[in-house]
Amino acid sequence: MNIKEIARQAGVSVATVSRVLNHPETVAPKTRERILDLMEQMDYKPNWFARGLNFNKTYTLALLIPNILNPAYVEIAEGVESVANRKGYSVLLCITEGEVEKERQYIQTLIDRHIDGVILVSSLLNGDDINYLKQQGVAVVLVGENNGNSSEPMVRIDCCAAAYQAVQHLLNCGHREIALVYGHTPVMENKHKIEGYKKALQEAGIPLRPEYLVEEQNTEEGGYLATRKLLGLKERPRAIFTTSDLLAFGVIDALRDAELNIPDDVAVMGFDNIRMAKLMVPKLSTVAKPLHKMGLSSARLLLDVIESQGNGNMAMREIVLQSKLKIRKSCGHKERIKEIF
Amino acid sequence: MKTNFLGLELKSPVIIAAGPWSRDGESIRQSLATGVGAVITETIVSDPKIDVRPRIAYNGLGAQNIRLYSDVQIEGWEREMEIAKSNGGIVIANVSAHTPSELAYLAVKMEKYGADGIELGLSTPMGEGLEVAASDPAEVYEMTRYVVENVKIPVMVKLSQNVTNLSRVAKAVQEAGGSAVSAINAIRCVLGVNIETMEPLLPTYGGYSGAPIKPLGLASVASIAQTVDIPICGVGGIDSYKDGLEYIMLGASAVQVGTALMLKGRDYVRKIVEELDRWGEENRISDVKEIRGKALEKLKSFEEIKIEPLTCHADNSIPCIEGCNMCIDACMYGAISRKEDNGIHIYDQRCTGCGLCTFLCGAKKLQLQW
Repeated sequence: MNIKEIARQAGVSVATVSRVLNHPETVAPKTRERILDLMEQMDYKPNWFARGLNFNKTYTLALLIPNILNPAYVEIAEGVESVANRKGYSVLLCITEGEVEKERQYIQTLIDRHIDGVILVSSLLNGDDINYLKQQGVAVVLVGENNGNSSEPMVRIDCCAAAYQAVQHLLNCGHREIALVYGHTPVMENKHKIEGYKKALQEAGIPLRPEYLVEEQNTEEGGYLATRKLLGLKERPRAIFTTSDLLAFGVIDALRDAELNIPDDVAVMGFDNIRMAKLMVPKLSTVAKPLHKMGLSSARLLLDVIESQGNGNMAMREIVLQSKLKIRKSCGHKERIKEIF
Repeated sequence: MKTNFLGLELKSPVIIAAGPWSRDGESIRQSLATGVGAVITETIVSDPKIDVRPRIAYNGLGAQNIRLYSDVQIEGWEREMEIAKSNGGIVIANVSAHTPSELAYLAVKMEKYGADGIELGLSTPMGEGLEVAASDPAEVYEMTRYVVENVKIPVMVKLSQNVTNLSRVAKAVQEAGGSAVSAINAIRCVLGVNIETMEPLLPTYGGYSGAPIKPLGLASVASIAQTVDIPICGVGGIDSYKDGLEYIMLGASAVQVGTALMLKGRDYVRKIVEELDRWGEENRISDVKEIRGKALEKLKSFEEIKIEPLTCHADNSIPCIEGCNMCIDACMYGAISRKEDNGIHIYDQRCTGCGLCTFLCGAKKLQLQW
């Protein structure tokens, strides 16, 4: 069964059937319905490989994430996949391990495979890398800031403001000795979170204590080790803010091993609001990053780029989403109303 | 009765409000067939969540709802809009988001899919922070401006009554280039508590809508009309053509019906539209602008109110409703008593002309006079 046969049976030209497949909005609704019905009856499936050759499109996207063991990236992936799938695209998942060389290797492989577009999450690529990708006809969207001040379409949150708000909340809960445990990755976003942390303390007139800033792997183990360091200090912190929920899980584990009560002895505040955060004991207060929405929005922007085919007819180039404090039990606040709204 | 609203010629000022009754193309198409001027989609968001169950409660007066958003993803609305508009008609897309760019993205997409206008939902009363987004004029300005700059179709902003100064918010919309405001959104509420189980009727705070919120809506529309020049769409508790006229006479160019449709169905909205048209014919009013704001002119400051020495007078030729003592029980000044012949006696010296009894009297035998 091929497109010519469909056209013959429907009594239309091959071009019309082709338009039903590729630009359905240009075909009169009644004709379109008739042709689609016919395709279904005759079990016609377009030859995607041939389609790729014809239109120079493979209907394949790639999602590059630093790590798949961090559920935050899985939530982004789910958002990307759900939009892509609805629009007839498949998604290749590439794990960069936060290494720029591995990211570059992937980029070359994806170009060789004639990928239509890529979504780079917390990318370490610079402007040159991204320009190279674009010159090869690959559409690019970034999730979270990358390394090279790129002007590519981007979906992000304001990490500095989010961290500022979180530390302010800890201050409002009465904590003054607040430590920050931050991961090696994602580099740019964590840089902004550190800025937010410092800004909140400075405004509250609290001097920065370098020993309260601990960098570790962005994993539960990282959080555990960082906490051991903090607990070994002469004056241990009364609250620990982390740049990810995974780190916060490790912090909680270490505090429990040290038989310290959360939040009475040490309060904990995470970042991301992955699904397990509300299952911790005590329930983890955190910064809710709209992960799933970031995935949805980035796939939408990418498809806009692909479908506008460089004619600049894009809805928007940047979507800044809102993060929100998700106050639960680990931060030591007293007002129940804040947990509800 | 026609109206010009958002630069669109509407054949009726009655518009169907955002809600689950406008959840997809087919339901909007059916709503358009009732003869309304336009239909607004259910609130479209960028990341639909699973609805909680139950999410609507009703106490015989008003309804509480918890987060009634569209479960159709933005991509899906391309097809839904095509179905919605397959027989013609005006469709306004209600979109809601937390940042200017997120909001504008949805608006741009809905414009592309054929929406005739945008309504921005910035004020949902549930789960969106203790202070609704729309309580901050600066934030409303930013959100509205960003959307207005990115679409060519008119943008209306739905305002909340949960703010201290609604006029300032309405002004922000006007300054940002908004084409209209709609007021009011549902009001944050807890509908009630089941005293047997000691549980609230619904498990979280929600939005209160229906007949009881009409006076709040009327006051909001009037105060907005006395603040800005952009057109207003009156929303809140409209259950009859008379309710619609009240909003119009206080300054609205169009009105939205939501909860009445939810409780009584689409045919009930058709009836409101037809009765409004009939009232227009009987009173030779063919365009809303002929009566818009007529009552607003009579909404005065205290010092402008001329104080007449009014007191209550009873027309005892009209019999009381049997067993009714409401005026006597309610008179805070002790000025009303029952006469031996069962008529009503008013002590002129005690009556201060408050007027309450004239509203309570079912027989309509009491009037203020001097």
